[in-house]
Amino acid sequence: MKSQTGLLFVLPALIVLFMLIAYPVAYTGLLSVTDGNGHLVGFKNFAAVLKPRVTTQAFINTIYWVFGSIVFQVVLGTLTAILLNQSFFGRGALRAITLIPWVVPGIVAATTWAWMFHTEFGIVNYMMTGSGVLQSPIGWLTNKDTVMPVLIAINVWKLFPFVAIMVLAGLQSIPNDLYEAARVDGASFWEEVWYVMLPSVRPVITAVTLLLVIWGLNSITIIYAITRGGPANKTLITPIQIFRLAFESFQFNQAAALSVIFFGVAIVVVFIYIKVLSAQPGEAK
Amino acid sequence: MTASATRVIAQPKMKKPGLSWPIILIGSILVVVVCLFPFVWMGLSSIKTLKELYSVPPIWWPAIPTFDNYYKVLFESNIPRYFLNSVVISVGSTGLALILAIFASYGFARFDFKGKPYLQAFILVGQLLPTAAIIVPLFITLRVLGLVNTYWGLILVYMIVTLPLSVWMLTSYFRAVPVEVEEAAILDGASRLGVLFRITLPLSLPGLVAVIVYAFVTTWNEFIFALCFATDSSVKTLPIGLAEFSTEFNTDWGAVMAASVVMTVPIALLFLVFQKMFVGGLTAGATKG
Repeated sequence: MKSQTGLLFVLPALIVLFMLIAYPVAYTGLLSVTDGNGHLVGFKNFAAVLKPRVTTQAFINTIYWVFGSIVFQVVLGTLTAILLNQSFFGRGALRAITLIPWVVPGIVAATTWAWMFHTEFGIVNYMMTGSGVLQSPIGWLTNKDTVMPVLIAINVWKLFPFVAIMVLAGLQSIPNDLYEAARVDGASFWEEVWYVMLPSVRPVITAVTLLLVIWGLNSITIIYAITRGGPANKTLITPIQIFRLAFESFQFNQAAALSVIFFGVAIVVVFIYIKVLSAQPGEAK
Repeated sequence: MTASATRVIAQPKMKKPGLSWPIILIGSILVVVVCLFPFVWMGLSSIKTLKELYSVPPIWWPAIPTFDNYYKVLFESNIPRYFLNSVVISVGSTGLALILAIFASYGFARFDFKGKPYLQAFILVGQLLPTAAIIVPLFITLRVLGLVNTYWGLILVYMIVTLPLSVWMLTSYFRAVPVEVEEAAILDGASRLGVLFRITLPLSLPGLVAVIVYAFVTTWNEFIFALCFATDSSVKTLPIGLAEFSTEFNTDWGAVMAASVVMTVPIALLFLVFQKMFVGGLTAGATKG
């Protein structure tokens, strides 16, 4: 009896999620091997979508985007967490302020930074030329060498607060005797960071990194709002390519084929990551 | 914190741990500037005239603050309508997610049934799914159901985004409520539902608030699904409205900045009011695993 009651409680949520996740995923698979009229065409869609050079470029851009973002998000987030873990006046306020970039809408972040990076009237170019860092203004968002680093910087700004707050929670759960043991051994603060704090928050950092990988693979908002993948496809990442295939050129079947490939790669990445993650604890402690 | 206080008392001779104050001060200033400067600039830009916006070098403080940009956004654009749409969709989706999450989390926290670990894993998979990979089939599904360009379409779709983490967070809150309290009530003749709504829910209020804030903020900010599934101005949400302002060739930056302020203020207020509970709810899940 009891087992059925539990299932009844869970069922409504499961049905909704099943309808919205399992069904569409299966349907994507079907779409990827059919044409517009529903006839089976084998792997024609896959061939068609893999052939253009832009697909490879989008794939490389995606890797650049995800890993470039994550490295800085984790490093800056962890440093901020260490700062927020100190005791000082105004710490509560600083913790709240740190989270603001993460809470505001991605589209607001995108437009505000786009305005700040504006070539002629942007405050960034003004500050840099004014202080002598730059000789002349740079077209941050139109120059193909600067556009991706700038977008990555905006993405880092948006998400390092999340890393900071998660790592902070991990730091707060470190038992005091670990610090005391380190102090008895005469450890300096940075030695404490290296030998006590970082090893203790490693599980948190790995879990957060996994989330960041998934969010990175999912993030369309910032890039789409600022450059839509341009200039010259320099910032075109695979999710945006899928979106444009489907909703700008209305190639639903090719978009589905690309989705299947993307989904497969994402699953493999997540799977390898979880393997590595579950192998670590034994060796870490 | 009290922990550090006792540490100092217990070992008075040991050097005080932590960063030195100049580093803390510099670090804090840096964090504040990096996090807040874009908003300061957004606010300043929203009260400048076009001439002041397009001046080289940029002007820090407008000579006479103008509210023309706000007038334009609030009375001459679709933004008020989009604001209403955003409110309806966010409230509807948050409410529905909350109800489903309450039952599901209670089921997971208090009962044992066949396949429970698999079902829990399935729910988390929703969080792992690449959005781009399911946009196309979702669009077709919604079209078949006649839900494209309706409030219900977006409300339902947002379940994928908010439900998994909501269930995850609430389950850990429900587990923290002692079972003995519930058992006592059942002995007194209360029904399962009665226990859930009269005892467990009131005791997990911080968790509920955390879930509500999380779901509301997420749906309010969501961009891609709205871009694909709401193409008519009767259902478009604020993020889409903002994107419309800035995609035209002659971007009206003053209006864009004013619209950004209009869009950010409600979310910032909501977050700052419930900040403690929200962060508590998030990190409770993280540290308990």
